[in-house]
Amino acid sequence: MKRDFVKFPLHVIFHPFDGFWDMKYERKGKVRVVLTILALLILTLILQKQFSGFLVNFYDPRDLNSLNDIIYTLLPFFLFCVANWSITTLMEGEGKFKEIVMATGYALLPLILLNLPMTFISRIMVSEETAFYYMMNSFAGIWFIYLLFVGIMTVHQYTASKTVITMILTVIAMGIFVFLGTLAISLGAQIWYFIYDIYRELIFRT
Amino acid sequence: MKLKKALVLAAIVSMLATAASPAASAATPYEAYTYNYYEDSVPLPAPYVPEKAISGQSLGVGSFNQPNDLFVTEDGFIYILDSGNARIIALDNEWRVIRTIESFDIDGTENKFANPSGIFVSDKKEIYVADTDKGRVVVLTNEGELIRVVNNPQSEILPQGFKFVPLKVTVDKAGRIFVVARGMYEGIMQFDEKGRFLGYVGTIKVSTNPADRLWRTLATDAQKAQMQLFIPTEFASVDIDSKGFVYATTVDINSTETIKRLNPSGQDVLKRFGYYPPRGDIRYRRLGNNSGPSKLVDIKVLGDGMYVALDSLRARLFTYNDEGELLYAFGGRGTQLGVFNTPVAVERAGDKLVVLDRGKNNIVVFKPTQFGKLVTEATIEHYNGNTDRSVDIWRDVLRLNSNFDIAYLGIGRSLLMEKKNKEAMAYFKLGMHRKYYSTAFKRYRREVMQEQFGNFMTTLMVLIAAFVAYRIARKVRVRRSDRREA
Repeated sequence: MKRDFVKFPLHVIFHPFDGFWDMKYERKGKVRVVLTILALLILTLILQKQFSGFLVNFYDPRDLNSLNDIIYTLLPFFLFCVANWSITTLMEGEGKFKEIVMATGYALLPLILLNLPMTFISRIMVSEETAFYYMMNSFAGIWFIYLLFVGIMTVHQYTASKTVITMILTVIAMGIFVFLGTLAISLGAQIWYFIYDIYRELIFRT
Repeated sequence: MKLKKALVLAAIVSMLATAASPAASAATPYEAYTYNYYEDSVPLPAPYVPEKAISGQSLGVGSFNQPNDLFVTEDGFIYILDSGNARIIALDNEWRVIRTIESFDIDGTENKFANPSGIFVSDKKEIYVADTDKGRVVVLTNEGELIRVVNNPQSEILPQGFKFVPLKVTVDKAGRIFVVARGMYEGIMQFDEKGRFLGYVGTIKVSTNPADRLWRTLATDAQKAQMQLFIPTEFASVDIDSKGFVYATTVDINSTETIKRLNPSGQDVLKRFGYYPPRGDIRYRRLGNNSGPSKLVDIKVLGDGMYVALDSLRARLFTYNDEGELLYAFGGRGTQLGVFNTPVAVERAGDKLVVLDRGKNNIVVFKPTQFGKLVTEATIEHYNGNTDRSVDIWRDVLRLNSNFDIAYLGIGRSLLMEKKNKEAMAYFKLGMHRKYYSTAFKRYRREVMQEQFGNFMTTLMVLIAAFVAYRIARKVRVRRSDRREA
């Protein structure tokens, strides 16, 4: 329990090459850990919007919506995993879908570990010190990108340049998915309203 | 079933609400508002209500014809520039006609105005008229005798074939004349008390956007000649405050600095410390009817840092304090008393506001409400440094309208000066002002740290002592067990 949830994730974020290797070949990664990380990330986002200090909190309280936070965290996450999987199966990647999910999930850990404490530290900051808050936030972001890069590279056994190319292609694929998704939803809505209109027509005629 | 009940209840409540609201706003044909931190307009109780409309007939001098400007002196005497009839109507502070000036003598011959558009009356009761179509500024005594004519400015910096078309005029205490002239992109023209041209003040910076610049670099010479020049916009109006600073407005859709306060050397020193710069409406339609930023055609200094600007596009009045924060905006277009057709000038008469409407050929007098009076008083007290008195008034303002951010900021600033940092923090948070909040919080944090330093150090020492004791105890135990084994 402690090894799965604490020791191994920390090992991964501090020694990414070694950690991701172990995750893939020693089967040390667990999907339930990834789900926990996602849940904590959502919690971090919600807490950040609600409780970060007045000086750094620019969210309009009327727009806060935890359901949106959940959707806008989970959706990009799985979109990235699916897009990356679709691209890498075509580009001789060795990773399975489960491994992509795990690599992406473990890479998110720094965002929690840095942003959650910073949320509460920001409450005792004055405006000259807020630069430190933003620095830590961007540091967490950079760390996440680095881990994601190493994770994808290790999982698929790619070279660095090929990883960069697949990353770019993944982003493009994500865009295509979103486009197709909206297209399908709007077409579906059209069909639905067509059927619904016919139904109403019949109801009012008889 | 429960849902149905709730819906019925909601319907009843909403009906009651709509039935109740007209009674509250029936006094004015407009809704007053201000903008909050999120740039949403927040309704306010009306700061001013229309008191009466005054037309030429009601004064007994025949109806006005396209009046362009009016001026109210400090002691409340009113001068109306009735441009279409080419006359000045002078009234006393009780709105009684003293005289009308239709003509004046130049070297023994009678002379008339031609479409004058600006008037100013100095402290010495000298009347300055921007006589637009005749290209001159006429200076008259209060009785209508000619003192001087300012025309044909001569200078090397004026372009060849320059035609002087004065629109608005204002004069400082030393007698220097500031003239807004048509086609003068260089700034406001400044004349000395003898009428000699001194130069320009308040040159407007040319604003270009990157797209225009890109087109210009790509265009051929022939195309460039076809393009319009990047010229700065003109000023629309001027006024002067008691310290000799010139307030001016420009009509420029690309600029956010349409109100300027020029110091004697001509630099813009207006404070823009509000959530957004003072420029009339912040939220407006981009396209279609009534679209575009406010067109500020007149400005009046109210004293104690406050000034009011008149938007002719949506016919509204915007009142700002010395920090550049919008106190309230009100007015609108329409035919009722209190809304305008073509407002052209705003003036202050005592605590009342006077607006000249060229379209309706009348003058509307607005008197302040309880709310308006309190806001003005509090702003004045705060401007003059009487913070404790201003706090009490701000609290009264909040009792009338708890959505008034400036009142929270006013109280917060006063509390900050009194070193009540924690309370000040709460008020700055309500007023959404991060800079002041940070200052108050910094002081509060230092206070708390100084207070708690003793406790903190005690706890720390105790913890260190406990840790050391634990280490020693463990060492002793280990040594004992070693000895036992040995």
